[in-house]
Amino acid sequence: MFGYVEPDKPELKIREFEVFRGYYCGVCKSIGKRFGQVPRISLNYDLAFLAVLLDSTQGEMSIGKVERCIAHPIRKRYVIRRNQFVDYAADMNIVLAYYNLRDKWSDEKNLLGAFGSMVLRGAYKKASKRYKEKTEKIKSLLDELIRLEKEKCASLDEAAEPFANIMREVFQCPHVEDESKRKVLGWLGYNIGRWIYILDAWDDLADDIKSGSYNAILLQFQYNGGDLDAFKASIKERLDFSLTYSLSECEKAYSLLGAVKNAGIIDNIIYSGLIVKTDKVLQGRCKKNEKESI
Amino acid sequence: MKKNPYKVLGVKEGASYDEIKKAYRELAKKYHPDRYRNNPLADLADEKMREINEAYDFLMKNAGGAYQYQSESQSYGNSTASQSGSYRTQYQSQQSRQQSQQGYADESELERQVRTHINNGNLNEAQRILDRMRNRNANWYYLQGLVFLRRGWYDRGYSNIQRAANMDPTNYEYRNALNNLNNQSFGYRHNPYYNNTYRSNPDMCQICGTLWCADSCCECMGGDLIGCC
Repeated sequence: MFGYVEPDKPELKIREFEVFRGYYCGVCKSIGKRFGQVPRISLNYDLAFLAVLLDSTQGEMSIGKVERCIAHPIRKRYVIRRNQFVDYAADMNIVLAYYNLRDKWSDEKNLLGAFGSMVLRGAYKKASKRYKEKTEKIKSLLDELIRLEKEKCASLDEAAEPFANIMREVFQCPHVEDESKRKVLGWLGYNIGRWIYILDAWDDLADDIKSGSYNAILLQFQYNGGDLDAFKASIKERLDFSLTYSLSECEKAYSLLGAVKNAGIIDNIIYSGLIVKTDKVLQGRCKKNEKESI
Repeated sequence: MKKNPYKVLGVKEGASYDEIKKAYRELAKKYHPDRYRNNPLADLADEKMREINEAYDFLMKNAGGAYQYQSESQSYGNSTASQSGSYRTQYQSQQSRQQSQQGYADESELERQVRTHINNGNLNEAQRILDRMRNRNANWYYLQGLVFLRRGWYDRGYSNIQRAANMDPTNYEYRNALNNLNNQSFGYRHNPYYNNTYRSNPDMCQICGTLWCADSCCECMGGDLIGCC
């Protein structure tokens, strides 16, 4: 999970922004309450979006409270609490963050990965117990992802599939009762996962060339060590299509979801935020880990 | 129980003909089957489209201003009214086109099977047959492209369909599919939400730049647009 899913903030109404932040803080506090304070740093925007999206499938008013928090001690903030979807997003956040860190350790021998996965281990065990079947599936998809990387898979579509399927699993929340809605969420998740994977691969091109790491884009378009900017320019249009088409499929799925609330925020993300992010990353104006504070 | 047709179309009860028509047109565009071609959610979009059509037909027949909808006494939905908007006819022709596609005379039995499997969402089976086929003509690439698209492999899907269209430039179906793909991504990028934002309006830099340009031009010609500079 990389935190690429963001609203287009200047277009958001203040009220919508408050609600979005309410979900974000809600997921964060839910992690804090159930898994301890340390795992809270693993939170990212993508999961806040998941909470907003899942909660839009049911019409009940979300319960909010105004409270203080360690990260923002001065002003009290609106936080959405006691919501099953917020808790679900918190659980999934832990599971994904744990795998991500463990992967970093086994892959790059990254010490932060080793340390982080050790810290998250207890929380992960607790969260995975609640969604046993789901975490099993995610784990096997992750193994597939690692296998494809080891085999140096030269197809971007194929390399993106396991991660896209992980997101499909994550978005198909068992608390959503309507089966067709779960199907819609699954397809939305697949396409957003695919978008994240490709965008991340593009964002990492320079680093991966330097470190010699696996990158599906380099292999598919046969990068031969020449000028990176020229290489990027030559494939940009094709990747733009791939990314935009994935997003258009997200939009189609979202149209069928029939959100009964939070529509303003989700519209903003689906119809604008994701395009803005795509363009930023494609033009190289966004470095990873550069996170706007909320 | 049937849903309230006003709610289906998202208009207020007692909305005028024009309002209903406008809402209908918007929704019909959104759930149009052309948008959901090669999409695993096509059946849900179809269902939604049917709902919208039924609600529209019902309101066009019965409403017109101040009609009050009563869900108990009135049932709509089985109306076979011939009232039809322009999208309806397009929609039907679309379906019949799909049916006629299935009956292509020069298509081999195997290719027909692949099409059926794709339509039923049986992608593994379709891929299995495609892998076994020796004769890789334009149609093979087209079908392979469809399988990829349905699977969510848009890069390969697009290149396969493009290849089919290049191999047989006269084929309407391939060209149409290619155009549809381009339209989908273009349409998404140019959606009204994104385009009505601050980005599309000229900012101060642009305004100043334009003024400065205009002033310089005027001065070249001996006149002056802005007196002070």
